Amino acid sequence: MRMRVAYLGGVLPVLMSLSLLLTVLPEQVLAQGEVTSKIYRYRERVASGYYEGYEVSPRRQRARVAIPGTPRGTFPFGTASSAVRLRSRLPDSHRGLKFYERTTCIECHPREARDLHSTRADITCRQCHGPEPIAAIDHYYSPMNSIRRYAYICSKCHEGATVNFADFYVHEPPAGSLETWKSFPVLFVAYWGMLLLLVGTLAFFVPHALMVGARELTETRAFRIPRLITGHLFESLKQGFRSNKGKRSKKKKARADEGNNAH
Amino acid sequence: MHIRRFNRIQRLSHLFLVVTFLIQSGTGFGRLYITTDFGRSLCRLFGGYEAAIVIHFWVGVAMMAGFGGHILYLLKRIDRKDPVKSIMGPDSLVPGPQDGQHMFQRILWTFGLGSHPKLDRWAYWEKFDYWAVFWGLPLLAVTGVMLRFPVWTSIILPGWVLNIAALLHRAEAILAASFIFIVHFFIGHIRPTSFPMNEAMFSGSVHLEEAIHEKPLWVERLKKDGKFEQQKAKPPALWYRVLYYIFGYTALGFGLYILVNGIIYGRYIELH
Ligand code: HEC
Ligand code: HEC
Ligand code: HEC
Repeated sequence: MRMRVAYLGGVLPVLMSLSLLLTVLPEQVLAQGEVTSKIYRYRERVASGYYEGYEVSPRRQRARVAIPGTPRGTFPFGTASSAVRLRSRLPDSHRGLKFYERTTCIECHPREARDLHSTRADITCRQCHGPEPIAAIDHYYSPMNSIRRYAYICSKCHEGATVNFADFYVHEPPAGSLETWKSFPVLFVAYWGMLLLLVGTLAFFVPHALMVGARELTETRAFRIPRLITGHLFESLKQGFRSNKGKRSKKKKARADEGNNAH
Repeated sequence: MHIRRFNRIQRLSHLFLVVTFLIQSGTGFGRLYITTDFGRSLCRLFGGYEAAIVIHFWVGVAMMAGFGGHILYLLKRIDRKDPVKSIMGPDSLVPGPQDGQHMFQRILWTFGLGSHPKLDRWAYWEKFDYWAVFWGLPLLAVTGVMLRFPVWTSIILPGWVLNIAALLHRAEAILAASFIFIVHFFIGHIRPTSFPMNEAMFSGSVHLEEAIHEKPLWVERLKKDGKFEQQKAKPPALWYRVLYYIFGYTALGFGLYILVNGIIYGRYIELH
């Protein structure tokens, strides 16, 4: 009983001072708000064209590359579904889109703004996708076309980039989604494999460790506290920092023998 | 009376791992969370976003060198005359069927069913700790080098491998850090047998009483093999104890700081 009190008397202050420490260490801001990246505050809130005018199309020039014979105008291919299918090959992937001029890229393509280049390296869409018109990725003359992407885009910053390099998925699909299972199965498997490993490991070891801790509370012999208080630290203080032999080790020996006999 | 549990090389390895692991956590998570205030303050500790990756890389190189050194040490420790026994025997960290049995028995024991298993030198949770680092470190090293030199990597491998590498690097780092900062710290510091700190890895020795309590088979085996006398050790000096208590609690505080903030700010970052 005394030991349990001593343990709790020790463990509580330690846990309390640790949590105090957490508040003393820098910037523990719980209510950080929805804005995490300072640069995004502008991108998301301000579409005036002032901060990133280059990301809001001026729409003055015509498409420099065009497929001969493709009709121009609003939604040339009719229904939205066919538009989505076909936009991947357009010289100007935003042709005919309403309100395009007054909107930022991120408002229409929120998912594409979540990659490492955009969030961490603060690289803007246009640094890769270029000026108007933004050709669709698979448009034959697009600098983004995988046949020349490495040379036209990536090597602007990554010196010596190869075709292989441009194979990197800049806008990674959400690794856990079923869609990714079809488009990028290795990523999907790696994601769920690691998640399972993480959850599995913690789901086993956290309760297990807690259970062991709780069980040890019922075992007087398990406590280290009494040893700490009455034991070495205390005695060496008493004996002027000299290491101790003597009655403690005698007691220990007696205990040790007892322990051995028990087996 | 104390008996020796870890030799100097083992303790130095552990100390090295503690320091490098914490630096890698600080710089790595600082960069992962750079879009949040938490990440920015962590990075500031290491000189900013750009400096953090330089530190992260070179400390990583040091860890790889340490891992290489550890492999050499292992090779040296294998008994040439009886390799099977020294690899599979009770002094080895290689898990065996008895570990599963001990785990099962110990789980039952936590529910008050049956007695505590009689453990030998290494308990199953200690082996798990060891092997978690053993496979985690090379994985982090390989993926880390790939991400540090993406252009070189893509000379041999297709670019999408880098997507996988980035995912594995992050996921393994989160796995390792959460395991260390939750489970390992709990076992080493908080649970009653260890509280306020399990000193074995720093002092190198344990109380005989404690060894008999936790690892009875080990002590029995030492006595049977006649190695008990030479295994006796002096208790650690007071100044040394004070030193490693301060060190241990600093490490604990830093780990907890990363853990708690990592969880709080987790929703602001993308993991893939
Ligand atoms: C008004 C909303 C809107 C805005 C603003 C907008 N886009 Fe788009 N974008 C679309 C739609 C709709 C498509 C066609 C559907 C699709 O492929 O996702 C498209 C297609 C694209 C494509 C081609 C996709 C493919 O499959 O090849 C690229 C590249 C692109 N947009 C980049 C940008 C960039 C860069 C900006 C900012 C300069 C931007 N978009 C701004 C709506 C928008
Ligand atoms: C580092 C260069 C880079 C940056 C920066 C970049 N993109 Fe892309 N984008 C690409 C590449 C390469 C592709 C081709 C598909 C891929 O690899 O994911 C692409 C594809 C797209 C697509 C086609 C659909 C898709 O996801 O595959 C859209 C839409 C798009 N980008 C929008 C944007 C927007 C909006 C931004 C700014 C927030 C942006 N991109 C920033 C390189 C970039
Ligand atoms: C405007 C400059 C710029 C362009 C263009 C660019 N990148 Fe990057 N890229 C960066 C920067 C900066 C980083 C480092 C980001 C960081 O560490 O935070 C980076 C990092 C990377 C990484 C390492 C990723 C990681 O997880 O560490 C890869 C892979 C990559 N880029 C691929 C590409 C590909 C493929 C393209 C061409 C489609 C491309 N980049 C175009 C600037 C650029």
